[in-house]
Amino acid sequence: MSNPPAPARDSVLQRRLSLSDMLDVPAFAEVVKGFVELYRIGIKVFDDKGTKLADIKIGNGDFCGYVFSFPDGRSSCTGWVGRVKDGPIAPVHGARLPVLDDEPAPKGLVAAPCFTGLRYLILPIMWEGDTLGRIIFGPFLPDDMRGFPSSLTEISKNFDISKAQILVEKIRRAPESTVAKVMLHFAQLFDTLLSAGQKMFLTSQMHIEATLETNRDLEERNQRLEGMNTRLKELDRLKSAFLATVSHELRTPLTSIIGYSEMLAEGLAGPMNQEQVDYVRTIMEKGETLLKLISSILDISQIEAGKVRLSFEAYDVKDLLQSSASSVRPQAQKKGVDIEVKLPAHIERAVGDKERLRQVLVNLLANAVKFTPKGGKITASLSFSDKQPELKSAGYRIVIEDSGVGIPPDQFDKIFQSFYQVDSSSTREFGGAGLGLAIVKSFVEGHGGQVQVSSTVGQGSRFTIVLPQQPTGPVAHIAPPVQTPPEDRF
Amino acid sequence: MPSVQLNHAQRELTVKIVYYGPGLSGKTTNLQMIHQRTQPEVRGRLLTVETHDDRTLFFDLLPVFFSTQNGFKVKVKLFTVPGQVIHNATRRIVLQGADAVAFIADSRRSASPENNNYWKNLLENMRENGLEATHVPVVIQYNKRDLPDTRTDAEIEETKKRGKEPVIGAIAIRGEGVLETLHAVLQSAYRSIDSRAHLAKNIGLTEKEFLTQVFANIDTKGTALEKDFPPKKAAEARP
Ligand SMILES: Nc1nc2c(ncn2[C@@H]2O[C@H](COP(=O)(O)OP(=O)(O)O)[C@@H](O)[C@H]2O)c(=O)[nH]1
Ligand SMILES: [Mg+2]
Repeated sequence: MSNPPAPARDSVLQRRLSLSDMLDVPAFAEVVKGFVELYRIGIKVFDDKGTKLADIKIGNGDFCGYVFSFPDGRSSCTGWVGRVKDGPIAPVHGARLPVLDDEPAPKGLVAAPCFTGLRYLILPIMWEGDTLGRIIFGPFLPDDMRGFPSSLTEISKNFDISKAQILVEKIRRAPESTVAKVMLHFAQLFDTLLSAGQKMFLTSQMHIEATLETNRDLEERNQRLEGMNTRLKELDRLKSAFLATVSHELRTPLTSIIGYSEMLAEGLAGPMNQEQVDYVRTIMEKGETLLKLISSILDISQIEAGKVRLSFEAYDVKDLLQSSASSVRPQAQKKGVDIEVKLPAHIERAVGDKERLRQVLVNLLANAVKFTPKGGKITASLSFSDKQPELKSAGYRIVIEDSGVGIPPDQFDKIFQSFYQVDSSSTREFGGAGLGLAIVKSFVEGHGGQVQVSSTVGQGSRFTIVLPQQPTGPVAHIAPPVQTPPEDRF
Repeated sequence: MPSVQLNHAQRELTVKIVYYGPGLSGKTTNLQMIHQRTQPEVRGRLLTVETHDDRTLFFDLLPVFFSTQNGFKVKVKLFTVPGQVIHNATRRIVLQGADAVAFIADSRRSASPENNNYWKNLLENMRENGLEATHVPVVIQYNKRDLPDTRTDAEIEETKKRGKEPVIGAIAIRGEGVLETLHAVLQSAYRSIDSRAHLAKNIGLTEKEFLTQVFANIDTKGTALEKDFPPKKAAEARP
């Protein structure tokens, strides 16, 4: 399963920044205002789309207003303002290179003489090789201006030169080269503002993007984990279902094998010599072993599939322990191991799943026989208490103690896991698939009880089962080992 | 597939190079050296963007730009990524749309585990960004060759054999190997873009012009590039 590539998220790093990205426009306007007041020359700043970022005028209002009051003045003025704002920043269309008189000036500057005789200087805003806008200084009164040009005086026969003369004096008079020098200062300041602004803009954008990206990443991981979890659960369920089916399918023919062997051994199909009888009995015994193993697998797979339901009824604990011990006694005698059952005089009846509990006791006793050498001893003792410390309620305690090989303490937890053997050699020596104790634990806990183990290696083991007299709830359910998280509530 | 930033309407090509690698391997130093040796007319400021909380870097950016003979504007953007483990999201964002990567490794033996971690991280982040390692060429720089624990030339030769990436030794603080690395990574970037966007055919920009336009404005004195891209003054002095 391959993940589709992440969607193309366009980072701020991939796009061209505009002046308004990089400038705090109101704060910038304040800076411009201060500059204008200091140098007494108007400043306008536009971005490359023609959007105005600052426009501070000084001194020219009355004069320009007067010119604007004549229809021809108005149209010439509008045309010229358009030229300065949107026209090429190059010595064309009425603009020319500035006269600098060896004064320092910024690169790319052009001079734009207005039809009134006033003048503008236009500077492109260059940033990382791009023109991001323009800075316009003016209008100012060039110090070389001697009288108004005819392009102004001829806008109307009513044009009053002496009035215009008075008004124009409110505009700063300066040499072009001086204004160019001031503009150089402004350009340097502007450049500093831009780089600080760019840094701030990118920092905050990257903070946002990095946070979003981290979130996206986490969500994706979560999804992947959830998908994996679902698959694992599904696999686990399939495994259990498979085992259950296979176990059933194996049991049927196996029962026939055992049955027919038994009939042969009994001589039902005619007499056999001793050797033949021995062979057939071996087939029978091995068949029984196999059948037990298959039953255990079936139990475990049903427990793991969450399918086991215990059915509770009243039963006699003393009887149960007695009869369980009797069922393993033949094996024990064959091995030369003694089993002693210690029972109290009187005991209350208990409630539980009798057959499942019988399986628990037989498993533990058979295990004890299996791991106890010839001449060893097994004790199974039963007691009752109104308050079992582990349960904080009334219950039974069954202790099965052997004088067998023992279990190292670091294995105490593991022996209760499915298919676990203390060491793999013990499987070969003692047989079994390591399922018995897993089943014991599941059944006991299904009753609300507990299993404990203690042991001294070389001296023996002791398994303790504590069972409540009365399990809580009429039917217990054994949870499958893979826990399903609870459903979302909201 | 990296997004080739070829904008025909604006007659503009943007080439993105990312300097990747563990923290403190010398990525920023590489950019500082390039910045120092590049004429101010063709480059922007070296921008360093830091996080608010500490001195850890988000990234550095150095733009270099020129116009081709055909009047196409070319912008080369050199980025570094932050090395700190926690900034993986930033690394991934910076890596988006990269045309080539310069992997700056610390050549000290003790730095091998870090180099390996970041190499894996690079491949993983490329995949996450939908960049295929086969399409985004990588150049390896073995930096800090001046330090005592550095690998020998023979060992570096060994590294070369283990992959197809060009491997260049460097002492970035002295500027050694920095321009050579830049040259190699720009060349790989050009070839990779050209194979998809056919720069020579479509905008008349050959590999030679691309590299010459960049290195004509960089002081190559004392580097392996001096012969192919003589420093400006020397070039002008020629008859
Ligand atoms: N000795 C030595 N130190 C270097 C070299 N290159 C970079 N450094 C130092 O390594 C440190 C980290 O470098 P820097 O470029 O900030 O690493 P970055 O985290 O990859 O950006 C700085 O102190 C540099 O001066 C080199 O070639 N040799
Ligand atoms: Mg750095």
